[in-house]
Amino acid sequence: MTKGTTSNNTVASLELINEVQQFLYREARHHDNEEFREWLTMLTEDIHYWMPYRYQRYRKNEKEPTIYDTAYYNDDMECLVKRIIRTETGTCWSEDPATRSAHVVTNIEVELTDNPDEFRVYSLVTVHRNINEDEEHTMLGHRTDLIRRVDGVLKLAKRKIILDQNIFKNKSLNVYL
Amino acid sequence: MSNRKLESDYSRYMDLKEGWVDRRIFWEREIYEQELEQIFAKAWQFIAHDSMMPNTNDFYTTYMGEDGVIAARQKDGSVKVFLNSCTHRGNKICYADDGNTRNFTCNYHGWAFGTDGELKGLSNEHVYDEGDIDKSQWGLQQARVDSYKGLIFATFDEEAPSLEEFLGDFRWYLDIMLDQDDGGTEFIGGGIKNYINANWKFGVENFVGDAYHALWTHDSGFKAMNNNEGFPPADPTGSYHASMNGHGWEFGTEGLADIAILGQPKVLEYYEKMRPKMAERLGEMRSKIFGSLASVSLFPNCSFLPGIQTFRVWLPRGPHKFEMRMWTIVNKNMPDEIKQAINIGCMQTFNPAGVLEMDDGENWEGNTSVNKGVVTRKGKLHYGCGINRRIEHEELPGIVYASQFNDANQRQFYERWADLMNAKSWDQVPTRYTPRYAGKKTV
Repeated sequence: MTKGTTSNNTVASLELINEVQQFLYREARHHDNEEFREWLTMLTEDIHYWMPYRYQRYRKNEKEPTIYDTAYYNDDMECLVKRIIRTETGTCWSEDPATRSAHVVTNIEVELTDNPDEFRVYSLVTVHRNINEDEEHTMLGHRTDLIRRVDGVLKLAKRKIILDQNIFKNKSLNVYL
Repeated sequence: MSNRKLESDYSRYMDLKEGWVDRRIFWEREIYEQELEQIFAKAWQFIAHDSMMPNTNDFYTTYMGEDGVIAARQKDGSVKVFLNSCTHRGNKICYADDGNTRNFTCNYHGWAFGTDGELKGLSNEHVYDEGDIDKSQWGLQQARVDSYKGLIFATFDEEAPSLEEFLGDFRWYLDIMLDQDDGGTEFIGGGIKNYINANWKFGVENFVGDAYHALWTHDSGFKAMNNNEGFPPADPTGSYHASMNGHGWEFGTEGLADIAILGQPKVLEYYEKMRPKMAERLGEMRSKIFGSLASVSLFPNCSFLPGIQTFRVWLPRGPHKFEMRMWTIVNKNMPDEIKQAINIGCMQTFNPAGVLEMDDGENWEGNTSVNKGVVTRKGKLHYGCGINRRIEHEELPGIVYASQFNDANQRQFYERWADLMNAKSWDQVPTRYTPRYAGKKTV
């Protein structure tokens, strides 16, 4: 993963930045509106949607999570489709009444990669969730995405989400970060 | 000034012949404080799996009740468990979940403790005069530690029976999970932790014997994992509840349903190949129990799902909140590909984002929060399903009831809870079943 400043040749054009921002906002809107089937069309067939576990460790003991560790999400397209099927069964009791959610996407950075059709995109997502009578939850994720242009259209190919909580502070993670 | 009269005899919070439990045990702070004293300061509790700390000086921090503890691997391979609180002013000496270290040094004044819990040194030790402190007397309070087939347990009660006695005949069932093949088990790396605003007992009782909820609560999740097909209709035949001193296993004998929930065909194939070997090792009956629709709790607060392979503890955080810690358990001898398929399937179904788990927390929070209402709280809850279905079974040890759709294990769990809440000493804690394996190995 690249850290710090990037060299000039990785700086994306304003046009590309704008296109990526609009892509991420549209994705957020689909999530807010529970338009999950539409969301799936924004993903590549080989999507990897990953939110690894989080532990608090001493600096000397820090280690990067791997895909072979436990994870909130470690999904390919088949796994994501199963999640969507759950919400379509009509017996998904905890989603009826529906969750009110707002996905706020900020701190978007777009970097070019060696592949002219792939862009590395950093963003911060803050999800406000309001459920039942008055329960409010806030979840915050640092996202590193790989966005790929497929037949002229941007699609999400990889997402890694680092949750900003050690203990996940809510009973469920029924929203996508 | 409180007009809430609490019972001094905890068995009065239930009538298990009539089949009800008093709602106050899920709400009252005084009862919760008694649980910390009578259950969490006394009973053996799951601390960690051996595989979480393979090397000398590896450590893992957790809680016994609300007492923070550190488990650490010693040079001789044993594990010590001691309080995570400096003996000087009390600060936590370790703020990490796990890691490897030679010392735990308190941030406040720099008192340093070894991974054996002994006080090794003080910062600026010269400010103490000779005779001010005998370091050998100011180590961290140690718990008793023992393990069963990879699971490390601890208790702070010197009078508690041995772990083997505490587990009793439940070992016969535990072997189904822990002793399927020569290699034993391990946990997949890392773990998931989350808070649920519910009484801790709702998590434990759900796993100890609530197959019933699965059919309704998890219809959507099961369909998601099973090509849009729901659970087959509840079949009361060939399935059981078995309870031993509050530990309970509810199970079918079809061998399939919980593995199928993983949604990973290659895992089903793996177990089909392995089953004859499992039968050789554990007998036909136990080989069929594994993988069936089933759930398990170890008294007081540890649970798992054999086949789905989620393994967890329910750590109390007050009467209306608990922390759930979850892992994936696999056999060491499994090929990496199978371990990963189980990890993926287990995590997709059972963690806060899991397609089954997501619906549980919501229910347990509702079960708990309603008792804010003083009128609501005075009511009873029905635990009478299958109350007359007790049977004797040739092969199955423990208190056995026919059909897994049953409240039997939950009733036995609350009976054990009341036994411990009332007991002034372990002599007063009855064994409510007839042990068959006392002093004997179970494989």
